[in-house]
Amino acid sequence: MSHNKTYIYLLALLTIFLASCEKDTPRYLPYKSYAYSELNENGGNWIPILQESGSSIAIDAPSNSDSQAYLNEIQEVKTLMSNITSDQKRAVTYWTNNPAIRWNEIALELIAKYNLIPGPNEDGTYTLPNPSNPEGPPAFPFAHPPYACRALAYMSVAQFDGLITAWNYKFQYNREAPYQVDTSIDYAYEANNLPSYPSDGAVVARASKNILTAMFPLEAEYLESLEAEHLQSLLLSGGNVQSDIDAGVEIGDAVSTTALNRAANDGMKNAQTPKAVSDSIKQAAYDRFGWAWDNLEIPERPVGLTPLFSQVTMWSIDDVESVRPIPPPQLDSQEFLDDVALLIDHAQNMTEEKRRIANFWQDGLGTYTPPGHWNRIANEMMVKHNLNPLQTTRTLAYMNMAIMDSGISCWDAKYYYHYPRPIQLIEGFETIAGTPNFPSYTSGHSVFSAAASEILAYVFPDEASKVRAWAEEAAISRVYGGIHWSFDATVGTEQGREVAQYVLNIAKADGADQ
Amino acid sequence: MIQTNYIQNHNPFTFNKFHYRTKWIIGLLIGLLLPISLSAQTPSDALMMPSKNICVLFSYDMGSFDRYWEGSYLRENQTIATVDRNTVLPMAAIGILDNLNFYISLPYVRTESSEPNGGRFAGARGFQDIGFAIKYRAIKKELGKGTFSALATTGFSTPFTNYLSDYRPYSIGAGAPEFSIRGIGQYEWQNGLYFRGSVAHLWRGYTEAERDYYYDNGSYYTAWMDVPNAWTYEGVFGKWFLGYSLKLELSYVGLNSTSGDDIRAYNAAQPTNKEKFDRVGLSAQYFFKSIKGLGVVAYHNRVVNGRNTPKLSNTGFGITYQFNVIKKQTEENVTQ
Repeated sequence: MSHNKTYIYLLALLTIFLASCEKDTPRYLPYKSYAYSELNENGGNWIPILQESGSSIAIDAPSNSDSQAYLNEIQEVKTLMSNITSDQKRAVTYWTNNPAIRWNEIALELIAKYNLIPGPNEDGTYTLPNPSNPEGPPAFPFAHPPYACRALAYMSVAQFDGLITAWNYKFQYNREAPYQVDTSIDYAYEANNLPSYPSDGAVVARASKNILTAMFPLEAEYLESLEAEHLQSLLLSGGNVQSDIDAGVEIGDAVSTTALNRAANDGMKNAQTPKAVSDSIKQAAYDRFGWAWDNLEIPERPVGLTPLFSQVTMWSIDDVESVRPIPPPQLDSQEFLDDVALLIDHAQNMTEEKRRIANFWQDGLGTYTPPGHWNRIANEMMVKHNLNPLQTTRTLAYMNMAIMDSGISCWDAKYYYHYPRPIQLIEGFETIAGTPNFPSYTSGHSVFSAAASEILAYVFPDEASKVRAWAEEAAISRVYGGIHWSFDATVGTEQGREVAQYVLNIAKADGADQ
Repeated sequence: MIQTNYIQNHNPFTFNKFHYRTKWIIGLLIGLLLPISLSAQTPSDALMMPSKNICVLFSYDMGSFDRYWEGSYLRENQTIATVDRNTVLPMAAIGILDNLNFYISLPYVRTESSEPNGGRFAGARGFQDIGFAIKYRAIKKELGKGTFSALATTGFSTPFTNYLSDYRPYSIGAGAPEFSIRGIGQYEWQNGLYFRGSVAHLWRGYTEAERDYYYDNGSYYTAWMDVPNAWTYEGVFGKWFLGYSLKLELSYVGLNSTSGDDIRAYNAAQPTNKEKFDRVGLSAQYFFKSIKGLGVVAYHNRVVNGRNTPKLSNTGFGITYQFNVIKKQTEENVTQ
């Protein structure tokens, strides 16, 4: 039966083929320790966001490198390193010498984990996540884009303030790293001349853990274990002794306390309003413009997402109304009717390219949201350009401040104009993206993306045209998805760019460019 | 002997894509083809026909669900309301040898939500996966008061179009290549009653999403989603009536993914989910005595228990026609 043999061979070949088509599915950005493009020795003089200066938080001088206390610390590092386990080695490699990116990824993962909209109860009502009962159900928080951008902003700002402080004392006290003091210590990362006291890694670990624990209270234990692993990796890398880490942790606690005090009073806790307030906002828009957005879900959600996110304290602008965009088109205007035709045309002539763009930038429920997507883009770009931890947190701080401020401005437009979504105004219209639970004008994706791209264009001038084109693609993706009007996207892009300028003004004056 | 013929009745495509109704249909229908080709045989001349026959099938399947399991929780969701999945299936079975058959199929699937619904999502439509399978009958022997048969099938399917798998519940397929191996055993009594059992393993590859980040108990920075492998189990009770022109079957099918994540609360499903289900079904097939080679089939299936899978019910009708083309061509070639 030669036929049978042939088929057996064929089968065997197929099996081998299948076994060989395993794909690499990375869980985090696959970067390793790298040499920083520069050290920013004067970084301690930069102006922080929430602290007065890099010396606002007092950090005592370390013991001398010839003291017995320090020699004991060095010995402790050497003992630990000589007993390193394979898990610990993996951890050292994972955390790298720019761990702010790792903590950013952890934040993105938690956002994706908690970005779940509560479903209806049996009786058709909805229960909202409650910070005083985080277990729920539903679990707290619902990490929607406003929540996500705020969490990222506070974390990045705390990290940046903490590293300015660390830089200040590093170059004030100039303590050499263990591997420089004792050449028998083999440093796990790229060597540099950054003084080791206080530990910048410990600042990032503690500040990040504190902010994320406040934002994601159910993850306290998980974050605690990540911090412990990270802090131990700092010792095991040969780059820090325990007193470096203790000082870094002290800074991390101080900057995160300041940041969380601001967060506690920034107005976010009132952003999700009761129905009566929501209804009055809607009625005001209807009286003013003759239209109002309706939630079309079944059962209907009584309140849109965070109607008063617009009232949250901005980082760079005093009066949110000062950057409010022009009104959207009247519903009987030619501009509006043209847009109806445009949306119908996109829906009827959906191409693979438009579908790909709509999906690539969708960043909807269950994902890291558009602010998270831009953080991921920034992370990749910062590694590519070999940014040091201080530059990394500076980039993330300004980008996330700009994303949050632009989001606050966007939400001001959304609930002031209360403009209906395409599915509300076009009879029988169907979409390939999920229509969110808030008014249409302007598009959050457009505003977030434009703001983020402006900060990245400033930090990476060689990437400027690329990131701006991506922001425009993210904006139009919502029109392709069928959930936004084209003017939501175009005006939203302008709005995001305008708001970003206010943050850029702060960035340009912080001392880093001098 | 006619009775032994429909042992082959198990279709190789059944293991193909259990998590989509269409794959069930394919499986069921392919199963139905074999008896047809065999029905062309005469009781005394069992060796001649199968190796020279082609059987074509055309069927229409209507499936729908208004609830699905999110993990183990059976959820209603007015965002999608009732989801309909209608499938047109053209398929061909080719008898290569008496004990070796080849199959090819290509379903066209259309999905949409009933109205009103809260999501206003567009459905999807398109050609799904092209499937190929080979079935080999290794054993056919008299045993006690009947006949025992053992068969093995291997199949491969892969997306035929660039449809988007990451668009649950409207996506028309899993969007991944699949390789499968199935073992089948059947015992048939002389009165036309039979029992068939089978076990299959499905190796599924990766499907490419149009986003390069997703959450599956943690972050994944890639567009590639690992579609879980699965085991399937099937048990069928059947009986022939009306002189082997009518066949009725009761079936159970179980599927169990070997890995994957749960659908999260009130969130969309995705191709990485760990699917599991128990499905029961009824089918009837009739072969016309007046028109040689023509048969019709009807069936109804219900998923009765599951995890991360729709509580799908589907009903289908099909027509099958078997003809002897290969023999003719072979003869012509020989003549030339």
